[in-house]
Amino acid sequence: MLISRPVVIMQLPEKLNRENAQNFSLELEPLLECHRPRIVLDCSQVGYVDGAGVEMLLHSLEEAMKRDGDLKLSAVSPESEVMLELMRVDRVFEVFNTPEEAVRSFGAAPVEAALPEAPWYAAAFGDVEGLKQAG
Amino acid sequence: MLGAIGIIGPEASENDRVSSDTRSTRWAHRDQFRQGTPLACLEVLGRSTVDRVVAGWRHIAIDAITLLADGYFASVRGEIDQGVREVSPTWVEHAWGCVPEILKNYRERGIDTAVVVRVAEYIEMDLLVALQFHKEQQHSVTRVFDDIGPLDTWIVDTSLDQAGERIRKALFLEASRHAVAGYVNRLADPRDLRRLAVDGLNAHCQLRPNGLEIRPGVWMSEGAQVDRRARIVGPAFIGHKSRIEEQCLITRCSNIESNCQIDYGTVVEDSTVLSNTYVGIGLDVSRSIVNSTSLLNLERDVVVEVNDPGIIRQNRIPHEEPPRQSPYGTAWGRALLAKDVNIPLDESEEF
Repeated sequence: MLISRPVVIMQLPEKLNRENAQNFSLELEPLLECHRPRIVLDCSQVGYVDGAGVEMLLHSLEEAMKRDGDLKLSAVSPESEVMLELMRVDRVFEVFNTPEEAVRSFGAAPVEAALPEAPWYAAAFGDVEGLKQAG
Repeated sequence: MLGAIGIIGPEASENDRVSSDTRSTRWAHRDQFRQGTPLACLEVLGRSTVDRVVAGWRHIAIDAITLLADGYFASVRGEIDQGVREVSPTWVEHAWGCVPEILKNYRERGIDTAVVVRVAEYIEMDLLVALQFHKEQQHSVTRVFDDIGPLDTWIVDTSLDQAGERIRKALFLEASRHAVAGYVNRLADPRDLRRLAVDGLNAHCQLRPNGLEIRPGVWMSEGAQVDRRARIVGPAFIGHKSRIEEQCLITRCSNIESNCQIDYGTVVEDSTVLSNTYVGIGLDVSRSIVNSTSLLNLERDVVVEVNDPGIIRQNRIPHEEPPRQSPYGTAWGRALLAKDVNIPLDESEEF
């Protein structure tokens, strides 16, 4: 059975400066702390982004990837594209035209099956049950 | 004897315009980026267009030069004063309205012909050929045209004793036409400024960078400093007292104008960095024009305001001697407005 972890879409504020980036980071933090976070940041409202904003995005991406997840951008305005290129981070992020496209790009992730714990002798003796049955 | 009148300002106002052929709808376009500064006052390859026009007049020994800076640009007065080193502009409220008085003054001084230029375009033409054409036409006003249309350059007999509506009619409707085939850049848009720089660097026009060609295709002005670990790949221009720091790359017809600093590791490619601009560390400036507060990306045609001083900011302007002031200054301007020209004039005086 495959269960996809939901993708979270969050909208970035209009001005991604130091203050707003800090506030947004606080909102994003709990979502980044889970296993394999999958996050889409909707940039459609972003009219201004500066160094602090880009730093927040990079930090968030780093945190997501540490937990085997990903963070993608969508609906980036031309002005924001210019700033991302200026700061040489335009190729660091996957960028999509719409949040829906970004969500689809995550695909379906297989859920990790809940396997019983292996007995304490498994490492030394291997499949003892199998041997018993064979024998 | 010859005189010249240079107007740094908009074309004739909406109320005054007799014909729409000088209208530039792009004049206000991206005004946010230009911040009201006429493009002709911005340095390109070390000198502004205004500077070059005035130098050209001096080169052909024009006897009297009057430079009128329209009050429209009062907010950027310092920049224009710094840019025009040879003749100081006089600030007036409405430059076009002052033209008849100046022509009259020239006539009284024995100057029979004057060149009237709205200094907004970069034009390569032989002015002496145009003057000869004007004389042959025996017409009181000659206007210069290129293959696209009229240019804001006229040759006028100072005997043209008309004012107000009549002189504007004479300039715009009754002028004979002199066609020029040389290089013309209308500088109507920041994109034109970039094109002028590229054409100058590629020798597609006569405009030459103001500096030494230290190696083929790379020009540097006096006082420019380039770290030995920076790379300048020509054609490129580094302006007066600009600094290029370590690990930078300046390439593909980029021009860094005067008193700029390009900080560590930044790449400037196919771009113009206007005077007095600091560009921060590790950036990638591509296909853009940058000033101290904003960046115009030519590929996407967007202007981005940059309030982050770590990215772009105004570079500290070194102390320089104050710009030369006209000996008549605003008194002359006020006198023109009051139509009271009683200020004693020396024959050799320049305004």
